[in-house]
Amino acid sequence: MTTCVRGGAGLSDERLSAYGDGDLPAVELASVREHLEACGACARRAEALSGLARAARALAIEAPEPPPTLWASIEGALDEPPRAVAARSWGRLGWRTFAAGALAGAAFAVLALLAVGALNEARERSAALPHEARGDRGPASGSEPGPRQIDPLLAEAEAELARAAAQYEHSIEKLRGLVAREEAGWSPDARARYADRLARLDEAIARSREAARRTPADSVGHEQLFAAYQDKITFLAEAVQRGGGGASPWGEGGR
Amino acid sequence: MAVKRDNSTMFGVSVIEGLTATQGDGARADETALVEAVRRGDAGSREALYHRYKRRVFALAVRIVGASDAEEVSQEAFIRIFRGLPKFRGDAALGTWIYRLAVNAALSHRARRPAVLPEPAVESAAESPSSFAPEPRDLALRRHLEQALTALPVGYRTVIVLHDIEGLEHEEVASILGCHPGTSKSQLHKARAKLREALAARGITADELLGAP
Repeated sequence: MTTCVRGGAGLSDERLSAYGDGDLPAVELASVREHLEACGACARRAEALSGLARAARALAIEAPEPPPTLWASIEGALDEPPRAVAARSWGRLGWRTFAAGALAGAAFAVLALLAVGALNEARERSAALPHEARGDRGPASGSEPGPRQIDPLLAEAEAELARAAAQYEHSIEKLRGLVAREEAGWSPDARARYADRLARLDEAIARSREAARRTPADSVGHEQLFAAYQDKITFLAEAVQRGGGGASPWGEGGR
Repeated sequence: MAVKRDNSTMFGVSVIEGLTATQGDGARADETALVEAVRRGDAGSREALYHRYKRRVFALAVRIVGASDAEEVSQEAFIRIFRGLPKFRGDAALGTWIYRLAVNAALSHRARRPAVLPEPAVESAAESPSSFAPEPRDLALRRHLEQALTALPVGYRTVIVLHDIEGLEHEEVASILGCHPGTSKSQLHKARAKLREALAARGITADELLGAP
């Protein structure tokens, strides 16, 4: 909020944004218009937001031209014959189900990373509130804290993070089931290397999870966690895909 | 794909046809025919569809993963598009569906390589051969905007790219990201606030934005 010429708090950036986007409910529209006509400070902020929106939209006009080699590389990839291994067992093993899960994981991941920002803001807002508003009695009261208010943004952020992690773990579990079917045909050496690599990936996930837990408002920690999940998914997918092609998935002499 | 075009709103900015595909019945029928031709295996139609969407897909990739990885992501996106086209049922507009696959390709790529920050999508003034001449104000603002965008977390960047740059409605952004329109609105607001902070850190104040073209 900003103090404006009409006294008291001006229109919030959020309302001005919604007004500029045409997303303001009809019941609020007239009052916002009236306020902007009378208040130069708020009108100026609205115009600045509008200028930012126009500048952003202008970037679409400057969309860069892709390199001329792009189409040739797409055509080349599309014309490649499907891999024998994919034809052999991919559909039977439910690859499509997994792929949908992995994509959903990526979408959940971005939502979760969006939620990290919300989480951060919710915590900052909570910290700025007086103790009474937070539901506790302050550090000097010496008595039991009262019931803590649950910030909906905080709850939403934590739920999104949990959903993203669950989605990745679901995909990983599915893939591990697929690998288990293939694993019986591998050599002991290949199985040992697979287990070793898997253990290192699990360690990376555990480290990232711990880092994300320690600094929940840091989006980098969560990005690293989701990247670690993605690495494991890629590894397991390769294990399923390459394991049936006759070659070892883990180097020479695997099968 | 619906695009904001309501000039009665303050931010309603007219957009250029071909970059943002607001479709009438004729254009939609044309697109349906094109999709059918691609499904039948017509190579010319496949290429025509590529040319129709290549700039938007590539621009999206540049802004989410950076210029150096944009070609790889665009290739992956178009492979997903052409391989998935036989299963496209038309529940969503073709453009929205294409955006969804392109965003998924870009986010998957980012998830695999999170440590690589995208470089600014436009050349910096120091590298520009014309940097001795004063830069027009609107060009400078756009350059700062591109660079400030790269400083945002990928989630915020994606929402701004889809809504503010590409001009998609919240319903479409929500459909692409798999969230509710209300979440798209609230995240966009937060993303814009972060963008203004990033611009302020580059010396672009609210006053600089007044009267931006």
